[in-house]
Amino acid sequence: MKKSYLYTILAILLGVLLYNSVYFEKLSKRNSQKNAKFDFNTFADSLYYNGILKSTQAIEINQLLALTKVNADSAFKTYGNRLGIGESAYFMVNATGKIIEKNEGELKVITQNGTTLIIDTKYIFGNAIRDASGLVKLTDFKTNADFNKVSEALNTVIREKAIPKNLNNIINGNIISVTGAIKLKKGKTKNQILNILPIKISKSEQ
Amino acid sequence: MKYISIIFILFLSCSPKKDQEKPKVAVVISTLNNPWFVVLAESAAENARKLGYDAKIFDSQNNPATEADNFENLISSGFDAILFNPTDADGSIANILKAKTAGIPVFCMDREVNVDDAATSQILSDNYSGCVEIGIEFVKALNGKGKYVEIIGLVGDNNTWARSGGFHSVVDKFPDLKMLAQQSGDFDRNKAMEVLETIMQANPDIDAVFCGNDAMAMGAYQALQSAGKADKVKVFGFDGASEVVEKIKEKKIIATGMQYPKIMAKTAAQYADEYFKGRKTFPQRVPVEVELVTATNANEY
Repeated sequence: MKKSYLYTILAILLGVLLYNSVYFEKLSKRNSQKNAKFDFNTFADSLYYNGILKSTQAIEINQLLALTKVNADSAFKTYGNRLGIGESAYFMVNATGKIIEKNEGELKVITQNGTTLIIDTKYIFGNAIRDASGLVKLTDFKTNADFNKVSEALNTVIREKAIPKNLNNIINGNIISVTGAIKLKKGKTKNQILNILPIKISKSEQ
Repeated sequence: MKYISIIFILFLSCSPKKDQEKPKVAVVISTLNNPWFVVLAESAAENARKLGYDAKIFDSQNNPATEADNFENLISSGFDAILFNPTDADGSIANILKAKTAGIPVFCMDREVNVDDAATSQILSDNYSGCVEIGIEFVKALNGKGKYVEIIGLVGDNNTWARSGGFHSVVDKFPDLKMLAQQSGDFDRNKAMEVLETIMQANPDIDAVFCGNDAMAMGAYQALQSAGKADKVKVFGFDGASEVVEKIKEKKIIATGMQYPKIMAKTAAQYADEYFKGRKTFPQRVPVEVELVTATNANEY
C-alpha cells in the first residue's frame, strides 16, 4: 500500500517536471515576439520628425553637381554616404524650381539655372533616404534585416503621411522647394536622370 | 653524439611554423554546382594566392553536415584563415564558432549568418536594396496590375529572405498585384523549371515571375518557352549572370540585379591578409552594392 502511494507521488512529480520542461508555441507567434522587441514605427517617426526634417546637412543640387564635376571623389566623400563597397552614394539635397509637369506619382521640376529634376512621390522605397540622412548606422542593428526594417518604416511615414499632405496645395506651375535623397554614381553624374526621393516639398515664397 | 642528434631532431620537430612557411587559407563554399559560386570560390582562392598564401577550396555541397566535416578537416590540417560562404544562416554558426575557438578568423562572403559576433567580418551583397529596385521595375513593367509567381531560393539562406523582403517591400504596396504562388526552387535551374511547370498547371494565367537568382530565372524562362508563354510572361532574376544579361538585351527577360562576387572574394582575401599582418578589428557587415540591369543599361555589362 505504501509502495503504491510512493509510486503515485513519484509519477505526479515526474509529470510536473515534464510539464515544466517543455512548452509548445506557434512559430509565427514566437517570431513576432522576437521582432516586437524593437518598435520600428516609433523609431521611424522620431527619426523623420526629430532627425531628418531638422537636419541642415542637405546641399543645393546645382552646387553638388558642380562639385562632382570639379572633384568627384571629394564631393562624394564630403556630402555622400555609401555603406560598404560601391560606385554610387546617396546625398541629401535641396532644390528650388518650377513644376513643369505634375503626373501621378511624380513632379517634373526645372530649377532657375535649367536643371531638370524628377521628384518621385510614388516609389519612395529602399534605403536611399535612410542612408542619405546619415543618421542611422549599420552597427546600430544586429542584422541587415532589422537595418532594412528602419527604411521600410521610415519610407512608409514619408510616402503615406508626409508627402501626400505636402502635395495637397501644389499645382502645376508652382514654384516649390524640395529636400530629398538622390543617388549618384561616380563618373556618371553628367547624363544621370536626377531622381529625387523627397522628404519634404513646400511652396516657395520666391 | 647519438643523444645530441636525437635532441636536434626533437628540437626541429617541436619548433613552431617556419617563418618562410606560407599561411594557408581555406575557401569553404556552399556549393560548386552553381557557376556563380564557382566564380566566388575561384576568385577568393586566386586573390589569396596572389597575396602570397596557399589556398584550397572546400565544397560543402549545400549540406551543413558536409560543411561541418570541412571545418573539422581544415582546423585539424592547420589552416590559418577561412573565406567562407555558409550553407545556412543558423546552421553554419556552430562551425564558425569552432574555428573562432581554434583561433582561426572567418570572413563570410555573400551569405550572412544570424549573429554578429561569430565571424570576423561578413562581406555581403546588398540583396535587399537590389531587390527593391527590381520590385520598382516589376511594378512599372506590369503597370501595377497582374498575377505573378515568386520562386525563392534556399529557405535556410538569409539572401533568400533579403531578396524576397526587398521585392515585397515594394510590390505588396500595390494591391492589384496578386501573388498566386511562392515556392522554393533551391537556387537551382532545373528545380525552378519543374516548380513553375507545376504551378502553371493550376494557374495557367500568369503575367510575371520573380526569381531569387538568375539560374532559377533561366529555369523559369525555359518552362515558359516549353509552354509557349515566353513572350507573354515577364521574367525577373537576380545575380547578373551573363546568360541573363544577354536575354535582357534580347528583351526576353526584363531585369536582374548585378552582384559582384569577385569584389566580395577580393575583399575577403584582403581582410585575411590584413589579419595576418596584425589588424584585428573589422566591420562586422560590409554591404556590396547591387546594380539594376534592364534593357536600358544592359549594354554596359
